[in-house]
Amino acid sequence: MSGESASAIQKGQVDLLDFIDWSGVECLNQSSTHSLPNALKQGYREDDGLHLDSDADEQLLLYIPFTQVIKLHSILVKGPEEEGPKTVKLFSNKEHMGFSNVNDYPPSDMAVLTPDNLKGKPVLVKYVKFQNVRSLTIFIEDNQTGSEITQVQKIMLYGSTVETTDMKGLKKIEDH
Amino acid sequence: MVLEATMICIDNSEWMRNGDYSPSRFQAQADAVNLICGAKTQSNPENTVGVLTMAGKGVRVLVTPTSDLGKILACMHGLEIGGDMNLAAGIQVAQLALKHRQNKKQQQRIIVFAGSPVKHEKKVLEMIGRKLKKNSVALDIVNFGEEDEGKTEKLEALLAAVNNNDTSHIVHVPAGTNALSDVLISTPIFTGNGEGGSGFAAAAAAAAAGGVSGFEFGVDPNLDPELALALRVSMEEERARQEAAAKKAAEEASKQEKGGEQQASSQDATMTERASASASEAETKTNDMMDDENALLQQALAMSMDDPAINQEAKDTDMSEAASDDPELALALQLSVADSSKDSSSQSDMSKLLADQSFVSSILASLPGVDPNDPSVKDLLASMQNQSESQQKNDDKKPPSEEEKK
Repeated sequence: MSGESASAIQKGQVDLLDFIDWSGVECLNQSSTHSLPNALKQGYREDDGLHLDSDADEQLLLYIPFTQVIKLHSILVKGPEEEGPKTVKLFSNKEHMGFSNVNDYPPSDMAVLTPDNLKGKPVLVKYVKFQNVRSLTIFIEDNQTGSEITQVQKIMLYGSTVETTDMKGLKKIEDH
Repeated sequence: MVLEATMICIDNSEWMRNGDYSPSRFQAQADAVNLICGAKTQSNPENTVGVLTMAGKGVRVLVTPTSDLGKILACMHGLEIGGDMNLAAGIQVAQLALKHRQNKKQQQRIIVFAGSPVKHEKKVLEMIGRKLKKNSVALDIVNFGEEDEGKTEKLEALLAAVNNNDTSHIVHVPAGTNALSDVLISTPIFTGNGEGGSGFAAAAAAAAAGGVSGFEFGVDPNLDPELALALRVSMEEERARQEAAAKKAAEEASKQEKGGEQQASSQDATMTERASASASEAETKTNDMMDDENALLQQALAMSMDDPAINQEAKDTDMSEAASDDPELALALQLSVADSSKDSSSQSDMSKLLADQSFVSSILASLPGVDPNDPSVKDLLASMQNQSESQQKNDDKKPPSEEEKK
């Protein structure tokens, strides 16, 4: 996984924040005070004081459905040096996974985050595996130092949309 | 109205043969399970409930989470007692059953009836608890039956490991005359984290199923709702006033007459508000009762204003009528009146006298053969009144303020 420029978004890719279906977003083992919107939502994620914390142990399981089909190009995970995530597994189009069956399926992609990544360098994913993504499951297996709690400050997803019809844009044909 | 999938883990081990919960531990448990199922399905029609047994040959799921109450009740029939409870396995199987629920949007909850001793180690239970918390499963524990040394401690540790924001609860039910289901009705297990709506439905279901047992004030709300309501209202008012009085007693220790007067006027204002409120409630009652109650309340107001001399006779006769109609009601109202008059006067002596006087007059009125209009009775009451009036004159400010109030 080679990374390119740290801050510029790759050509042709957009921030997929607008296509996230917020009603279905779930996160298992998150702490009640520091929850997923802190890392995902516009405004919250820029604030480094607001972060996502794990609760009972260091693993986190995020489920992010999208409003339309997208292609995922890269992912950016920002976190503190010590408690930031290390091993991150991505699953595409697998609904409602739990910690027990997360290791039963081979991940669509896996990334071991370096401290550079945690500072803001995006990680390119295997683009061919993410051509037709309806939902993304992110499994954070452990963190950099093996501490009890994993902290994530920001998660950003970059990609592009597939040509799909926006059903809300369809207008009824008037009979005259 | 939380959307929830619940798995109930029943203890059907040999320990359940004991009769310390009537009629037997197992039967009490079965009743409680029926009630819980009813309450859950009533609070939200999309809720599902499943049942499994922990003892017997092994952990067995009787019914997977379903919203069909009939299916659940049917599977409770013909259950046999035997074997030993396996708490850890029971909880894990319940978690698995919940994982495969139809509607993934439902919150997961496990309710465990722990009647027999817990043979697992505390560490094992804590690990299970952490796993439940990680998968956002809530756990309710009903600790009843055997009082094993360490059992309570282990269950509390399990709860602490699972608990996330107070979604999990533990209830200890000691053996006694109260049925297991009755005790559970008032707990958060039934009322579901303080939601009033579901609690009320649960209470209604319980009352319908339970029958006559243990009504407040000995009056069946179904037979005489108005009376039950009036009694409950007056009791609550009295309790609220007692709490307020307790607070004021601390303040009044430093403030003396001035503070007392201000409180008296505010008490009168609140009394009129309450009087109008209870008067409006009383409109549902029969006409006789309403007239009497209004009259009683007006007398109560007059008495709290320390102006008894004017309406002495009228009061006594009115009270006797009301008392003859319904002694319980009169007594309850008297108690609330007595408390209000206590509050209005800052001096404890005077309040005692007033209370005594109203109480005595009501007692006299209710006694057969004693005519309150009898001159000797009137003299006695008047003499009591004079004593209280002389106390009044000791307070410099009281009489002029009484004049204003008139």
